[in-house]
Amino acid sequence: MRAASSIAAAARWVRPGGIAILLPLAAWAVLAAVPWIGVEPNLVRLLFITFIWTITGIAWNLLGGFAGQVSFGFAVFYGLGAYTTALLINDGVHPYLAFGASALVASLASLIVGIPTFRLRGPYFAIATIGVSETVRVIMTNLAITGGASGYRIVEKRPFDQAEHFYSALVLLTVSFLLSVWIARSKFGLGLVAIRDHESAAADVGVNPLTHKLAVHGLAAALAAMAGGVFARYAAFIHPQGVFAFNTSVYIVLIPVIGGLGTLWGPVLGGVIFGIVEEQLVATFPEAHLLIYGALLILIVLLEPGGIIGIVRKVSRHRRLRSAT
Amino acid sequence: MAALDWLNVLVAAILLAGIYAVMSVGMTIIYGVMKIVNLAHAGFMMLGAYFAYELFERLHLDPLLGAFLAFPVFFVIGRLVYWLFVRWLPVSDQPTLASLLLMFGIWLVLQNLAYLVWGNEDRSIFTSRTFLTSQIGPLTVSTLRLVAFAVAVVSLLVLELVLRWTWFGRSVRALIQNRYAGQLAGVDTRRTASLTFGLGIAFAGMAGALLASLYSFNPDFGRPFLIRSFVIIVLGGLESASGVALGAVVLALAETVGILFVPAGYQLAISFGLLVVVLLVLPGGLARLFARKYRPA
Repeated sequence: MRAASSIAAAARWVRPGGIAILLPLAAWAVLAAVPWIGVEPNLVRLLFITFIWTITGIAWNLLGGFAGQVSFGFAVFYGLGAYTTALLINDGVHPYLAFGASALVASLASLIVGIPTFRLRGPYFAIATIGVSETVRVIMTNLAITGGASGYRIVEKRPFDQAEHFYSALVLLTVSFLLSVWIARSKFGLGLVAIRDHESAAADVGVNPLTHKLAVHGLAAALAAMAGGVFARYAAFIHPQGVFAFNTSVYIVLIPVIGGLGTLWGPVLGGVIFGIVEEQLVATFPEAHLLIYGALLILIVLLEPGGIIGIVRKVSRHRRLRSAT
Repeated sequence: MAALDWLNVLVAAILLAGIYAVMSVGMTIIYGVMKIVNLAHAGFMMLGAYFAYELFERLHLDPLLGAFLAFPVFFVIGRLVYWLFVRWLPVSDQPTLASLLLMFGIWLVLQNLAYLVWGNEDRSIFTSRTFLTSQIGPLTVSTLRLVAFAVAVVSLLVLELVLRWTWFGRSVRALIQNRYAGQLAGVDTRRTASLTFGLGIAFAGMAGALLASLYSFNPDFGRPFLIRSFVIIVLGGLESASGVALGAVVLALAETVGILFVPAGYQLAISFGLLVVVLLVLPGGLARLFARKYRPA
């Protein structure tokens, strides 16, 4: 009897549900081994960039996908993280401490947008985020201590180690993903989804929309900022037209939307696709790549709001129904 | 500062407010009727600017005439965009995630099409009128701004008359007040929404064409004005067309006076600061402050 149940338990791992756990674990193990198995540095760089984008996508998805609050200003947190890390590293602070400080700074900054706009229902938050990102970029372009528009260089007093950068991004990605899994399964996450689906009904059953939105905004800001910090340390040079650019905000919105809003794997899938496509598109159509993204956004919203995950789910349901009959 | 200087500032602010009102009113009626925040407004304003520019460069048409021509042309474009994309959005009493993302996508497409067509250099329209000034009593006023103001006021008055006296206007007001009651009373929501969207885009195009003769522009032109528009309609109470005029005056005043104290680069920070203050202090907008039972007209 016991043997039978353990066989059944073992069999469960190879059934479709189990593959959903095994496959990512295997992929993760391969990724973790990448710096060891002599992969060419350019590919490691591509993976690193993809991790960074995926982290920002996961962060945005917490706020936009789970809580349904659209922000067009995530470049603010990404950029704040990048600049905080840069300034602190140049002051001799340990990089990992600097990442933590970036998270703190961005969470505090998230309150400035959140407190006035989250108290109200309606489009206030989404529009305010555009205003904030414009204002912050103007300020950063003129700020003297960070070199203004000409950018800021990070001087780290140790040799460049690509594997370390790679691992810090991978660890942050893993932590972000596990955090999103935990949120999706927690009471907090249920509260967020309730707010997204029907805010006044959520408030009626005791979910405080203001504190929930502020908390998830702060959390998402912290993740985006750390991604910005890890990127800044790698790039060693940042400037406002890069990290604070409107395009950065656009990319961060696109990643979870392409993959599948409000799902766990959506931003990961979206990040991987975006990382690879962006590399190709920027090289071949530097002029038109935002045009393509805009068209993609329209198509996804109108035809398949679930993104790639939505398509996969539809196909698998269709197949299951077919095999059932 | 002498009293005369302040008077000049005040006049400049009111002239600016006229154009601000035209650019915001389209966003307001679209929001009121359809509860869609038209982020693509910025894109259509930018297209309006290039529309006037092309007419001026190719056909040597006066940019003000271009602004008038932009109205019907953008009305058609707006209805086309509605028919192609917007009508598929789920109907809602709240701005939905889908509508925000869709309008954002349309904006991205418009902006980057413009980059492909016109490149990223700044353009501007110079006519014999550009640097002309008029003397009104002791005041010196840019003629161009005066004329643009007149155009703005006339178009807003026409809109007000249309909203007040036509069946279309009644439907619009009905849907702004209560969508379901409007439907029960026999308002054709689809048709009204389509016409409203066309009208909103028409105002965006016209505002862009008017702004084109005052400022230089590039494909990224509309973005600061999008935020200004939003500040104005929040000031005006989101759904009231008359509130827009009021909001426009307040923002224009804040900016014109603010420019004396804040470096020009930070001008957008003024509108954003104003937005935050309004959201914190009077979320219902100025209109609510003046008349509690006031209904959009």
